[in-house]
Amino acid sequence: MLTFKLQRWSAIALLVFLTIHMIFMHYVPPFHISFDVVQARLSTPTWKIIDILFLFSVLVHAMAGSYQVITDFESAFNYRKALAWASVIIVILAFVYGAKTIWAFQL
Amino acid sequence: MSNNDTQRTVTVRIQRFNPDVDKKPHMQDYQVKMWPGMTILDALHEIKTHQDGSVTYRRSCRHGICGSCAMHINGRNTLACKTPIINEVKKNNTVTIGPLPYLPVIKDMVVDRTSFWEQYLRVKPWLIPPDDIPEREFRMSQEEVDALHDAEACIMCGACYSSCAVIGLNKKYLGPHALLKAFLRVLDPRDTAPGERLEIVSQADGVARCHTIFNCIDACPKGLNPTQAIETLRKLAQKRQKYEEAKAERQKHLNEPIPS
Repeated sequence: MLTFKLQRWSAIALLVFLTIHMIFMHYVPPFHISFDVVQARLSTPTWKIIDILFLFSVLVHAMAGSYQVITDFESAFNYRKALAWASVIIVILAFVYGAKTIWAFQL
Repeated sequence: MSNNDTQRTVTVRIQRFNPDVDKKPHMQDYQVKMWPGMTILDALHEIKTHQDGSVTYRRSCRHGICGSCAMHINGRNTLACKTPIINEVKKNNTVTIGPLPYLPVIKDMVVDRTSFWEQYLRVKPWLIPPDDIPEREFRMSQEEVDALHDAEACIMCGACYSSCAVIGLNKKYLGPHALLKAFLRVLDPRDTAPGERLEIVSQADGVARCHTIFNCIDACPKGLNPTQAIETLRKLAQKRQKYEEAKAERQKHLNEPIPS
């Protein structure tokens, strides 16, 4: 049930962050995406925090979904605790790696 | 519908499997002359009586009540006794019949339903009434009856269970039939163990495993909605304690008249 809840809550968070991302990246000036534009955006602390939270939501949503689908198989279902821990470790590693990358941006 | 339509000869293609002889299932065709109002079950009777006595299937009431004759007919699970053959032979004059999917085949259309009943018993499908049973009837409001969405009409045919893709992958999943029964008991104001049942359905092989594919709704010959029941159980499982308290309060007034 925890996985189910995590997936639903992360889906709501994704909806919010994806809306912010789409509006500011595609529907407001400048209407082109280049490294300079992304670098300028990610050098501000607000955007760093938004994108790190966005990254976290994506990771949680993806891992919760993958865990649910994988444990649908009876053979994997029997190892669900080990799979859950593996998912948590993957999320933590990917989050640290991604967050460090985002945080490193500066003008 | 013309007379020619109802009296023509149709091909009934049956999946045959005899574990004593066959290594794997194979299809066998039979020619059956239709009569007006003929059902798939009638066609099977016709074949078994006049053409091949070895064709094996379950059936009992012939009125869509017992659920014995649930089969896989032209790609969907339904009751053979409720399905007119004329509706199934519109394309290429053939109807294909097989056993319920995802269940071990014992012989021809007879499947082993052990996992179906094991999962069913896990949710404690019986009513657990309060200790002080009133001398007269329990009283339920119309809203309480409506909230059950006719779930008591389930005939345990297994059509929903064996149409569920999750069951196809994992027999440890409770399944739509058991969850529909759990829904019925959890929402029944007379039942005293809603928390216990909500705990059972909240486990890893319970309500969270449903992918809302809706196959169970399509398959149900009684037109029930197990997916909606599962969704309701999911919501109630989130606020289990509050729901238990509300139900305990309701049970104090079970034998009192319902205010109009």
